[in-house]
Amino acid sequence: MNTLRHRHTIAIVVFGIVYAAITMFVENSYYQLIMAVVPVWAVMGLAWNLFSGYSGLVSFGHAAFFGLGAYFVALAQTHWGLSPWISIPCAGVLGGLAGIVVGMPTFRLRGHYFALAMLAYPLALLYVFEWLGYQELTLPMQREAPILYMQFEDHRVYGLLALALMLGAMALTRRLERSRFGLSLLAIKQDEAAAEAAGIDARAWKLKALTLSGAMAGAAGGFYAIVLLVVTPAAVFGMLVSAQALIVTMFGGVGTVWGPVIGAVVLVPLSELLHAKLGNLVPGIQGVVYGVAIVAVILLAPEGVFWKLRDLRQSRRVPDDEPVAAAAAAPAADIARPERHRTGQEAVILEARGVSKSFGGLKAVQSVSFEVREGEILGIIGPNGAGKTTLFNLLNGFVRPDEGEVRLDGRVITGTRPDQICAAGVGRTFQVVKPFRRMTVLDNVVVGAFVHASSEADARQRAQEAVRRVGLEAESGRLAGQLSTKQLRLLELARALAGQPKLLLLDETLAGLGPQDAAEVVDVIRSLAGTGLTVVIIEHTMPAMVKLVDRFVVLDHGAVLTSGLPAAVTRDPAVIDAYLGKRWRAAHA
Amino acid sequence: MNTSDTSRRKALGLALAAVALSAFATGAAAQKKTVEVGLIAPMTGPWARQGQVMKMAADLAIEKINQEGGIKAMGGAQLALKVFDAGDTVERAKNAAQRMVAEAPDLVGATGAYLSSFTLAVTEVTERAQLPVLTFSYSDLITSRGFKYVFQTSATGDQLAEGSLPALMDMAEKASGKRPKTVGIVMDNTAASVAFAKPIRATMLDKLGLKLTVDETFTPPLSNATPLIQRVRSQRPDFLLLMPTVIGDAKLLLEKMNEFGIGKGKLPAISNGAAILDPDLRNNMNVEQLEGVMSVVANWSTAAQKDIMAEFRKKTGEPWATQHFITTYGDMLIFRAALEAAGKADRAAVATALRAMDLATGPAQFFPGGRVKFDANGRRVGAALLIVQWQKGVPVTVYPPKDAVAAPVWPKQ
Repeated sequence: MNTLRHRHTIAIVVFGIVYAAITMFVENSYYQLIMAVVPVWAVMGLAWNLFSGYSGLVSFGHAAFFGLGAYFVALAQTHWGLSPWISIPCAGVLGGLAGIVVGMPTFRLRGHYFALAMLAYPLALLYVFEWLGYQELTLPMQREAPILYMQFEDHRVYGLLALALMLGAMALTRRLERSRFGLSLLAIKQDEAAAEAAGIDARAWKLKALTLSGAMAGAAGGFYAIVLLVVTPAAVFGMLVSAQALIVTMFGGVGTVWGPVIGAVVLVPLSELLHAKLGNLVPGIQGVVYGVAIVAVILLAPEGVFWKLRDLRQSRRVPDDEPVAAAAAAPAADIARPERHRTGQEAVILEARGVSKSFGGLKAVQSVSFEVREGEILGIIGPNGAGKTTLFNLLNGFVRPDEGEVRLDGRVITGTRPDQICAAGVGRTFQVVKPFRRMTVLDNVVVGAFVHASSEADARQRAQEAVRRVGLEAESGRLAGQLSTKQLRLLELARALAGQPKLLLLDETLAGLGPQDAAEVVDVIRSLAGTGLTVVIIEHTMPAMVKLVDRFVVLDHGAVLTSGLPAAVTRDPAVIDAYLGKRWRAAHA
Repeated sequence: MNTSDTSRRKALGLALAAVALSAFATGAAAQKKTVEVGLIAPMTGPWARQGQVMKMAADLAIEKINQEGGIKAMGGAQLALKVFDAGDTVERAKNAAQRMVAEAPDLVGATGAYLSSFTLAVTEVTERAQLPVLTFSYSDLITSRGFKYVFQTSATGDQLAEGSLPALMDMAEKASGKRPKTVGIVMDNTAASVAFAKPIRATMLDKLGLKLTVDETFTPPLSNATPLIQRVRSQRPDFLLLMPTVIGDAKLLLEKMNEFGIGKGKLPAISNGAAILDPDLRNNMNVEQLEGVMSVVANWSTAAQKDIMAEFRKKTGEPWATQHFITTYGDMLIFRAALEAAGKADRAAVATALRAMDLATGPAQFFPGGRVKFDANGRRVGAALLIVQWQKGVPVTVYPPKDAVAAPVWPKQ
């Protein structure tokens, strides 16, 4: 992992040196200007990527931060004579503050509503600045102290400064990408609910991301004002600005530090050169060529150039990995079946008392009461629509009950946020597995380990431990997208384990598995319970369940039908009628 | 639609002819020296049409100059035009300017760049390259930066406002027998309109004893003009300052005024700039509804340019020349005069000649005020304005009297 990290750092350094060398080599002042503009749009793309690329919340409004930065630098110099050396960092701070102000109300919205709301900010600011009378603002030429005001005779200096800004943004992105920050955002992007269940405070992380992203965009805007020397609302708040950030990132690749950089390095000069060379021959043709180029890339590489290249490289290497992986999967099946000694008198860890929840007229869960004792494996069964998953959602805080309360270790947790319940020791998996396909197995698990981890190294260690406990060690370096269904189930189990829960809520962990695979996963769950972990599992695969659980709770129409030991419950006529069916009766009579 | 198609085809034909001609001319003049001048203007994007008109003007003027023997002080050196596309954004305009100074080091001067925000960005580059630039953009910012290489031939936005309103009041009094007491403003929020309205709201209303009864600002493009015009009709000011800068908005507003029975000059409407005088407007709406509408402009064709206008109509198929044409044509003549004075193809010498220039003939007849002399900031001394009015389907200059092609029409109430 360290070598990988070094390789990326080296790549960024090499890229920086090459870019600087080209900048110094260019003599034509027009190309020097382009060399300075490319990094500006790369930083803008990186800013967008840092927020939208990692969190998955699409922002059409990054021009708001960019424009505020640009206007701040221009106005600060015009009115207070403030040097850009100071005002550009201030523009970054301003952009960050704007991120907070924008984020607080807007994160109440999700999906398309969020994207549309973001669109409104730059549009509103555009009119505000027009109304303020800033239709056109120029940065006064400083003949006395040009360097103090970033006004250089030699345009290459702009290129180098822009490069420094871009390298800074790349280093920051790279650092965040691999940290708790980046992994948490990726988790939110995949599934906000799952992330919260894994102990991630989604709102706080999103706000942090938008703040940092706004800061980057603000600084980029500030620098842009210096390069352009004229600031107009349309030039810095216009739709094109937000669109440009999106285009360079989507072209290059979303969710990676290289995406926006590749996008800007290719598209900005391409569009400019087409304009310069082709536009003189047939005015307007440059737009057609540019558009066709983008459409072609999107068709050939929908996720962006970077991922396409990486997939091509990966696909060449994968065949070698395959046999090793298959062989390594075997040990999981050999886990010994621990003997289970249960007195039924262990301490109660989780207790539900009269919990009810209705969705409109549908009573999904009706005054359900049951308790879970320490170290126990409790199975929850019932027909489809019996309210099993809703019950889980009530237990881990996704849904607030209309009535009743849930206690964890005797403490009421009703109304507590999912990430807080996770931190209190409740882990959870989902019916549909949601791995982060482009991340390695270990990174997937690290996301779940941050709840209690004091540092990144600590999280990594916890994750490794969790991966070992489910028997996925051999796969820990592979991408999750390459795993089999069984391995994905184990991966999710490991992710929940990494948070070191006392209690694990498993939602149909055996779904979609063949008998052999199911047996292997059952063994893993049993071995976990053997180490003192309490497990509550929802499952339909009855033969596996009968072997696995210590006790059943049967739900029907949202209410508890019965509960008890497997032998008793599976013979209960009410259970057979409601759930198991006549065939079960015939087979087990 | 048909007319515009024909004119487009004609324009294309003309452009091709010009290309062929200039190729021929360059071939023939291979031994003779050529002197390059630049045109930087939007050739693509929403303002492309204006850029193309400017190119037509420069081509025609240069053709004429070369026919008349080129620059005599330089042994008959021929002028050659280099065009740079300022595109549709400030960034593009600035890049184009950088390309101009980097790739055309022999330019002695340039004209452009249509929108004042483009001109501001372009001149930041040309100033540093010490390339003299002539511009007809209105913004007073252009010549308030202490620049030495920018020369503004048009009156600035506030000069236009300050110069035109008293003249309009006089015109109204003379025509109708009583002085207007109330005025309405319906404007968009673009730089040109804001610059025009600012001095009016700030001081001029008081000075002229006018009461502002309607004051509406909108953001282009306008989707519905009804509420704006409804307010105008209910207040019924003595005259209306109607300031759209987008041709489509002008059409909407004027049609709505007619629908409400205050069109065709019944409620005098005065605009600023050339959007409301564009040939496109005549092609796309009922010509009668345009009758009587006036606009305050920094340049238009006057009685002095009859011959050139006839030639222009013949060669381009355009019904009339807008300010972009007149000014750019005049700019080429200014460059000729500067080169004759400088005697060499050197931008510093041309800049010096421009600063020393004081002409009342030749190029001066292309600029209201009739004098080509620039002050220390690069503003043209005595830059005056013209008032143009739609009369029988054509916008004609009606003020000041010495430049007027026709007498102004003001409704007798």
